[in-house]
Amino acid sequence: MDMPPYDPRAEHALLARMKSGDETAFDQLYRRHKDAVYRFALLYSGSAAQAADVTQDTFMHFIGHPEGYDPARGAIGAWLCGVARNLARRSLGHREDATDPAELADDAALDASQVDTQTPLERILRNEAAETVRRAVASIAPHYRDVLVLCELSDLSYAEAAQVCGIDIGTVRSRLHRARAQLAARLASLAPRAQEAISP
Amino acid sequence: MSTHTDPTDASLAILRGALQQVSPPPALEAALGAHFRRTHRKPRPSLWWMPPLALAATVAIVSWMIRGAHAPDPAMAGAPDIVIEVDNTPFLALKPLERIALEPGTTVVASEFPRALLADWGLPVAPDRAGEPVRAETLYSANGEALAVRLVN
Repeated sequence: MDMPPYDPRAEHALLARMKSGDETAFDQLYRRHKDAVYRFALLYSGSAAQAADVTQDTFMHFIGHPEGYDPARGAIGAWLCGVARNLARRSLGHREDATDPAELADDAALDASQVDTQTPLERILRNEAAETVRRAVASIAPHYRDVLVLCELSDLSYAEAAQVCGIDIGTVRSRLHRARAQLAARLASLAPRAQEAISP
Repeated sequence: MSTHTDPTDASLAILRGALQQVSPPPALEAALGAHFRRTHRKPRPSLWWMPPLALAATVAIVSWMIRGAHAPDPAMAGAPDIVIEVDNTPFLALKPLERIALEPGTTVVASEFPRALLADWGLPVAPDRAGEPVRAETLYSANGEALAVRLVN
């Protein structure tokens, strides 16, 4: 998933204009980041309707609290993904309770309660193979899925993913490794034929 | 981000490609634009001070007119100063203030009249004192119409 080319000076200029009430500046920032935020929310929630709600709430938060973004801590796109993640976690409620990084030992064996088994299975992608992969991603443990979605599908750097998840970069790396292993296992169990079809 | 070339990378590439086809509903942009305008709407200038200012201006004009009516007679300019006790009871407007303010040639006349007359102006009158005289100063227009009254005792 492509994030817009990051030009901090241009984005910060737009942000300054937006803060002073310039709607065209907000429009430009929205158009730059809407797809990335929506796609992140889509992968996170597994529902087009929830993704739209999360996207709307994310940008409403941006409109109301632009001072919440700290330029020293990363790009606007990464910050928006962090806001979207928090809002999506809140809307998903109890399903994410066990994913608090403070409560997780990164190398702990995956508990069955941490595996997301209630992700809505509505079909949101036309491509059947892609839909199979999306479901596989949705089915892995949330704290692993977060890192996978941020680093592999939202093009955030490890540092930005660490910022969003509130963990250190080493943990991002190890979780990403485990996420990929889980994804491979899920793909194999969910759709062995599809997995064979997309294998090189 | 990853440099793996295993089947997982191929799967993620397929998902990444499919995600390029999805976007948020177009209606979202309009809704957020409206929210932005509401949030950054400039507050309308507050006009709360207009009514008090108009009232104060009217009172000032009426006071100035009443003082004009009390202006000393030029013929008395050489006479020794006489201390006059002035009753500061406020005038009660019997006509709209806007009209009083525009009335030319007003005159204040000290008079006595039956207390029962106060009832005609909407003022409370004790029945057992209705026959007593009341001292008052009345502001009259040039054609003799009572515009405002001030009870002296």
